[in-house]
Amino acid sequence: MKKRATLGFEESKAVFGLLRAEQRPLEEIVSDFNSFFSHGRQFIPCFSISILLQDKKMLSSTQRLIAFAILQQAYSSQKPSANPFISLLINAACDVEAEKYERALILQLLQLFGSDGSSGGKELLKQSAADYIKSFDPSVHAFPQHEQLQQQYADKVHPERYNSPLKDSSVRNVVADPDVPCGFDVNSSEFDVQPGANPKLGSGDRDETVLGLLSNLALEGLGPHWKRPIPPRLPVQDDELVWLNPVDNHELLWDDGMCVDTSRGAAVRDLIAKALKGPLAPAQQEQVLLELANDPKLVYHCGLTPRKLPELVENNPLIAVEVLTKLINSPEIAEYFTVLVNMDMSLHSMEVVNRLTTAVELPSEFIHMYITNCISSCENIKDKYMQNRLVRLVCVFLQSLIRNNIINVKDLFIEVQAFCIEFSRIREAAALFRLLKSLE
Amino acid sequence: MASSSSSSLTVANRDGSSSASEDEAVMSVTRAYAQDALLQFQSGKFDQCLTALSECLKMKPNDPKIFHNIGLAEFYRDGCSHPKRLLDVLNDVKKRSEELARASAEQAESGSNIGGSRGSSTMGHPFSAVYMDEFDTYVATLNIAVIWFHLHEYAKALSVVEPLFQNRGPIDEKTALNICLLLLDVGLACHDATKSADVLVYLEKAFGVSCMNQGDSGSTLSQQPANPVAKSPSLPTNSSAADGPNLDSDANALESEETGEYDGAVFDMDVAQPTALLSSNDLSRNPVDISVSSVYLKLKMQLYKVRFLLLTRNLKQAKREVKHAMNIARGRDSSMALLLKSQLEYARGNYRKAIKLLMASSNRTDARISSMINNNLGCIYYQLGKYHTASVFFSNALLNCSSLRKDRPLNLLTFSQDNSLLIIYNSGMQYLACGKPLLAARCFQKAGLVFYNRPLLWLRFAECCLMALEKGLLETTLASSEVRVYVIGNGKWRQLVMEDGVSKNGNSGSLERGDLFLGSDQQPKLSMSLARQCLSNALYLLNCSESSYCKNSLPSNFFLEDNELGEVASSKNSNNKNFHSIDSEASALSVGLGQSGINGDAKEQKAGTTQELVQNSLLYYADIRNKENLLLKQALLANLAYVELELENPMKALSIARSLLELPECSRIYIFLGHVYAAEALCLLNRAKDAADHLMTYLSGGNNVDLPFSEEDSEQLQGVRAVDYEELNGGSMSAKSSSPEYTLGIVFLKPEEALASLYVNFAALYAMQGELDQARQFVAQALSIVPNSPEATLTAVYVDLKLGKSQEALAKLKQCSRVTFLPSGLTLNKAS
Repeated sequence: MKKRATLGFEESKAVFGLLRAEQRPLEEIVSDFNSFFSHGRQFIPCFSISILLQDKKMLSSTQRLIAFAILQQAYSSQKPSANPFISLLINAACDVEAEKYERALILQLLQLFGSDGSSGGKELLKQSAADYIKSFDPSVHAFPQHEQLQQQYADKVHPERYNSPLKDSSVRNVVADPDVPCGFDVNSSEFDVQPGANPKLGSGDRDETVLGLLSNLALEGLGPHWKRPIPPRLPVQDDELVWLNPVDNHELLWDDGMCVDTSRGAAVRDLIAKALKGPLAPAQQEQVLLELANDPKLVYHCGLTPRKLPELVENNPLIAVEVLTKLINSPEIAEYFTVLVNMDMSLHSMEVVNRLTTAVELPSEFIHMYITNCISSCENIKDKYMQNRLVRLVCVFLQSLIRNNIINVKDLFIEVQAFCIEFSRIREAAALFRLLKSLE
Repeated sequence: MASSSSSSLTVANRDGSSSASEDEAVMSVTRAYAQDALLQFQSGKFDQCLTALSECLKMKPNDPKIFHNIGLAEFYRDGCSHPKRLLDVLNDVKKRSEELARASAEQAESGSNIGGSRGSSTMGHPFSAVYMDEFDTYVATLNIAVIWFHLHEYAKALSVVEPLFQNRGPIDEKTALNICLLLLDVGLACHDATKSADVLVYLEKAFGVSCMNQGDSGSTLSQQPANPVAKSPSLPTNSSAADGPNLDSDANALESEETGEYDGAVFDMDVAQPTALLSSNDLSRNPVDISVSSVYLKLKMQLYKVRFLLLTRNLKQAKREVKHAMNIARGRDSSMALLLKSQLEYARGNYRKAIKLLMASSNRTDARISSMINNNLGCIYYQLGKYHTASVFFSNALLNCSSLRKDRPLNLLTFSQDNSLLIIYNSGMQYLACGKPLLAARCFQKAGLVFYNRPLLWLRFAECCLMALEKGLLETTLASSEVRVYVIGNGKWRQLVMEDGVSKNGNSGSLERGDLFLGSDQQPKLSMSLARQCLSNALYLLNCSESSYCKNSLPSNFFLEDNELGEVASSKNSNNKNFHSIDSEASALSVGLGQSGINGDAKEQKAGTTQELVQNSLLYYADIRNKENLLLKQALLANLAYVELELENPMKALSIARSLLELPECSRIYIFLGHVYAAEALCLLNRAKDAADHLMTYLSGGNNVDLPFSEEDSEQLQGVRAVDYEELNGGSMSAKSSSPEYTLGIVFLKPEEALASLYVNFAALYAMQGELDQARQFVAQALSIVPNSPEATLTAVYVDLKLGKSQEALAKLKQCSRVTFLPSGLTLNKAS
């Protein structure tokens, strides 16, 4: 439950009852109060009482005395400076307009802070409020100055509880709004309720007001108000409301692959396995190509893996091209390309790449890397004859790539130009060089 | 040979060509049983089907595919009543298949190492990362996605089916087509334009190739209702020319010095891809099936295209394509096309036409259809601002749904046709519009089972809380729209006690954990804490969808949990990197498109390919989504700042208000809210000077304050509304068909009222700094605009009291019409 900042009905009644007990000893009233409000809960009733005290007419003289006693005694176990109402007590003690007995009582109460349960203090609290007023002798009391009391009891002002300025500067949220006929004196006692008499216009019962205030005074006073606009509701968004359309009845699929003839593609698997070892006979090659063409998914089941690709390229480049073309959309194609780039340069690998470039769109990084490999292979080869052969091949390959717009010459210009110059003795290199120049 | 057969036994797989003849005999018997099981399944005799399957299982005791089909048959036999149970079976099958495939692959690897020199063709099973036939999980995975789809778990379905589409290479045509169609539906349901676009382009390419040769054979689709297996609309193609480059030249051709032969090798890229899906092989296999399904599929594709265009709000093109769809559907079932046409008119704001089309679209005796039509009519009336009519339609739609649940024998479709959770969301919106936050919240709570990953849902939930607060329906708060004054005592002792609004909301955040969402009666318990939680959920989801799509990672039972969503979900999302945001996808696509982007005019589009159309739409949609998300973010931050203020967390409120103010292209309304919230938070933090800075932005000189925003800003806020595509491209702005005849105004302060709020706040600011004269002037200006504002009145009363003018204070209190004088509720009689 929410912690209420006001007194409940029962609590208000209890507090009011205590305030009216002018014949009971103060001691008893205070102990009743403490038993009713556990420690830590006493602030709210004390606060309400303190508000009531601020309007001098609101409480009768005995009620005021009881109220002050409660305010002081509720916090008697702590240092005077820890009492939240200490300044109210001090101010009241120094209020020259107040009744002397009231000031005297407060002074005596304040002295109780110092005297730790001494007999003098006990004596004071054994009296009832009515008795105190009756036996009051103004001559025995001296009234010290405000500063003196301030120094004595509230020198170490306890740090203010954190609060916002909106609340700090709050004022009492009670305004007197006397409802009396025009021209009459509000303070006139004729408007008090006369027992037995008919209530007349403008009359009111003070006790009722006290009780009402007790139960309605909130801790917080009235502060300046901040306008906090509630944010607007977001207008309905364009596709926010759900528009319904009939959907497809996506049905569950029977798995057709159950117990099927798994010999699907067995022949091709066998042939591919053979193709890794050596060139296939033309008829066998034809068969592989035909079966792959007939069943586009067969390529995924023909037993080829990236690791085995180099063997296939060397022995049966045409089949390799066919397989790679069909795998171009598979998630594994990158792996195949990596293997292809890194295998030893040869006529067959170059042919495979060349045919692939015309058949499918290859990633340009792949082509560039492949060309770089080609060029460095040419440079590193020892055998002059083989070198010439390879250079001629690379030149033809590059010309083909350039003419077919497979590569953008600019990307590789320097590299290729250097290659042409190095091997300018070879006719194809010179031709490639001229081609490059013509494109410049 | 022996080693090979023994190794294959352990993994229960095929024996290849090495199998002995008796194995072969066993296999053929098994195949016969499998064939029989399929036939029984197709004719709906599930008991016989299961008998046949158990025979299969005797021969191949560990075959996951048999378990898969058994699961399916049992599911149908039991009347489709336990989809979750089937999900368990399928997930189990999938797991087992993967294990077997791994084991088999490892075995093959080791086998080939040992017997590597064997020249025979029986080298066990060559390893490939692609699953082998026997252990592939495509069908099981697809079925899992299908079930999620029917259960309205679109995000989950998407996460399952999307990888299948990406790796569609090895998947057979029938399954692949089913995958595509499912992904289209799921993508559209998730509002995921990018994924739908991918499939659309892919299918269109495939279909485009085939329909050139196929033509319209005119036969209608004869569906067999008893057949629970989807038809296999395989597509024909004559693209065998695409099988590869010309390889007839000799391998030694490179050696020749002639290079010219390479020049001619031009290859048409476009036909390479479709062959992956559509093989000429199919043509020979099922010649009948194709002609049946071709038109059917063509219409279907066209309808998907329209739905995609509607999703991306490319209304101009949608109009064109829906016409095309009507043409294809002529003489056949055109109800779907009509419904889409109605949706188009709805999106264009032609509500009357939309209603007419809906009424004409179908026989309304079918509860399934009439529930949809009722719902759609409800949407239209909502947009017309006729909320009560809308509520009648929504509740009719819900009634239709519940009758659907009762009457029909269950099948899987029943689940997806029960759209009640979707309709309930609409209902919630309608309640919210009618100012019934508790009912609305109840709706959103239910709809949350489907929409839990949409930021908007959470915003709406928070709006319910705020509305409840505004209406004084929250347990812990009181209505803030009026000043409450307690009249205590009477006669000369009469006193007035003013309730202080600043403190009235205190402590509303002190709800204990665990029952944040639901009270003891399982109804949502609206509170400011709940609002805060909802808003942070929404912000989290929004940020997610901006950086990457994370739609599939939230637990669907989230409503029953109350812990920090952020932590839970972020850990689940972190491994979800392969989803791209719309922006990056769209921009990547635009690169390929070159200059013919959204600047191209409409005529150019007409001739354009589907790919261009789709890409243009994507770009346009990404732009719309950006704007919408930005607006959503403003709303979320403004709401959150407000809620934090309500919960007395000025620090958080301040930082949120600041990030609101930092948003680019922020609406002036939200900037105003940002400044006001930030200023209040700073006041609460004892930083009146900084607070003043925020308010000062509106001070034009002296004590004059500018209007913080204009009417146009309010109008702008309500409409990032659909604008026809052509107009966006600089077409004639005069024919603004989208400007709705009926505008749904936003409920917010008028500019003058906002100005008055600023005056009040200036007054409060000066008052708390003790500058009472200044405060008095400002509050007087506020009262001249809004004489009945509770805040202005209370601040004025405060200033008067502070100045000791209690009579003036009383006069002001009594003038304000929004002061409620309440009896104290206590009399002495009762007390004594």
